[in-house]
Amino acid sequence: MIEFVSGISVFCFVASYLVALACEASRLVFRSGVRGAAMIAFAAAGLFAHTLFLVWRAATEQAVPLSSAFDWYLIAAWVLAGGYLWLAIANPRTPVGLFMLPVVLGLIGAAEFSSRQPFPQSPATQVWGAIHGSFNLAASVAVAIGAIAGLMWLIQAGRLARKQAPLRGFRMPSLEKLTQTSGRTLSVAAWTASAGFVSGIVLNAVNLQRELLETVPWTDPVVLRMGAMVVWLVIAAAVSRAVSRRPEASRITAWLTLVSFAVLTASILLGIFGATRHGVPPAMPAAAAIDSEAAL
Amino acid sequence: MTLAFIGGSHRTVPLDLRERLVFSAEQAAEALKRFRLRFPGREGVLLSTCNRVEFYAAGENTAVPPPREQLLAFLAECRGIDVRLLEPVLSGECDEAAVRHLFCVASGLDSMVLGEPQIVSQVKQAWAIAQESKTTGPLTGEMFQAALRTAKRVTSETAIGRERLSIPSVAVADFARGVFERFEDKRVLVIGAGKMAAETLRYLRESGAHDIVLVNRTSVRAEQLAFRLGAKIGRFETLQAELTSADLIVSTTGATEIVVSLELFQRAEARRDGRPLVVLDLAVPRDFDPRIGSRPGVWLYSIEDLTAACAANRKNRQRELPAAIAIIEEESRRFMGDLHHRSTTPVIKQLRAGWTETGDAELDRLFRRLPTLDATAQIEIRQAFDRYAAKLLHSPLATLRSESHSGPPHGLLDALKRLFDLKD
Repeated sequence: MIEFVSGISVFCFVASYLVALACEASRLVFRSGVRGAAMIAFAAAGLFAHTLFLVWRAATEQAVPLSSAFDWYLIAAWVLAGGYLWLAIANPRTPVGLFMLPVVLGLIGAAEFSSRQPFPQSPATQVWGAIHGSFNLAASVAVAIGAIAGLMWLIQAGRLARKQAPLRGFRMPSLEKLTQTSGRTLSVAAWTASAGFVSGIVLNAVNLQRELLETVPWTDPVVLRMGAMVVWLVIAAAVSRAVSRRPEASRITAWLTLVSFAVLTASILLGIFGATRHGVPPAMPAAAAIDSEAAL
Repeated sequence: MTLAFIGGSHRTVPLDLRERLVFSAEQAAEALKRFRLRFPGREGVLLSTCNRVEFYAAGENTAVPPPREQLLAFLAECRGIDVRLLEPVLSGECDEAAVRHLFCVASGLDSMVLGEPQIVSQVKQAWAIAQESKTTGPLTGEMFQAALRTAKRVTSETAIGRERLSIPSVAVADFARGVFERFEDKRVLVIGAGKMAAETLRYLRESGAHDIVLVNRTSVRAEQLAFRLGAKIGRFETLQAELTSADLIVSTTGATEIVVSLELFQRAEARRDGRPLVVLDLAVPRDFDPRIGSRPGVWLYSIEDLTAACAANRKNRQRELPAAIAIIEEESRRFMGDLHHRSTTPVIKQLRAGWTETGDAELDRLFRRLPTLDATAQIEIRQAFDRYAAKLLHSPLATLRSESHSGPPHGLLDALKRLFDLKD
């Protein structure tokens, strides 16, 4: 059993998700009686392998479990993959995988480019580190779900405006449901991103005060970027709420969620390829810190 | 000939004649009983719907199905119609063509509305009546089972029955449902008391709508319809207020001018708090100013839009036709192959029996000559003989089976009979 679990690689669940995505895409081309079951089977197999992979890493890594940038991205992907599986079972006629699985695969891709080195932590700051990472994870997942709902809203609204019957195999949820989802996730993203940012500040301040670990400069690109993202999400949530009694509210919210996702994507890319002191072990010089950044 | 059918549908039989030709369930049972007495040993199933009357007959060997003329005369006699009236409008087919026709009918490919699903239950009902009338048998049994299986395949493997074709169903399922997740908490405003409004409301009610207000210029008609639909009555004079509180509007007045102008709508819009609004303008000429459809949060569909969507759906169904026909061809061929193979069964049985008899006789003689053989050895030798016979027979039987796919293998059967001296 241990041999089996230790043999699971990222490739195993990526391949399963890719097959599930191909099944989703094939809805647009042909009908099949067994595709739904095959799609769910592959997604479930992928999620199972993904879970075992994370459990194995949590059990075998020396440092605090799942505390590297690599693990962080994989957990975000795992949460979204779980959400996809649930939605695919609950709404078998909605091609939600066409929207969610690329995000899942994108996050796994980001993980592959990220450091597997655990973030430096001391017992005193461990709790704050976990809070910081969890809130940022929740914010990122909320932004991704919101953007998926927003994109689906725009596609559905376009179809309804063109007065076309739904495409075969491409039946979207109602505008009402998509509006609710995108609006709520935007609020959740604003709150959790703010909490993640504040907890990051506390974490850094504790490190600074107790001289436990090397602190992240307040002008570090990650800090500035995260701050900018929090500001953007708060503004977006506020705008969405402010216009909620206007007829254009749903459309505005849909666009806000998409822009938020673009901001998140840019932040992730800059995090992966930019230089930072965030999440870098004290011994490592700043120049070698590329790729070792925690999410956001 | 083993299978035959005669019948006509909306394509060939004029409505007035179809009305006279149609059988009620009781009349169908009576006709089948008469068929059983007239043509003993034959099987028969009568399929009668508002769009078609078809009689399927089957029989084998000495009881082959009656020829077309006799079936035609039988149907005419049952319904008291001059046979000369039916002669030009009822067509007949036999064997594979009859099977293919039944499969097409059961799959809805021959229906007035392509792919309509009700025909499946009508075919089942026809079969049940024939069973009760004791006119079914192995041939019609297999044929109708295969027809229902084919219909199921066509439904699950193609989208021929998926797209909606009626304007009210498209309006509700494809458009209103695209905007609203649920209708239980939505207010439905009906302007006018047209027939299309009643039909659309039926779909909305099925979807959960219950807060329905009906406004009409003449209150008597509105009251009648409101009573029938369980809707509240609103006053036409307070239309602006009704527009403010409505989430979905179905409009079907007979007015010759616009009923809801852009100005009137804009006054109502200001108090709507940005709630989305779906308008199904089913009136001709239109009740709503088309410019209202450009307002944010308003989804306005005219009868023209909905007709276009219905036509697109109809086209989609047509597009599925080749796939459905391919399934029917495949199932027809398989059914006929199995049927032809059935005709070889007596010869195969005789052949096997002859070989077994000869083998057993030889073995008995052998065991008498070798009395020292124990029971285990005897069993082993008997099994070896059986395997030997089965291997020798395998090749001719496989050839028979493969030949059956392209028709009854009369030539091969005759050859086998002559070679092995088999009797009919």
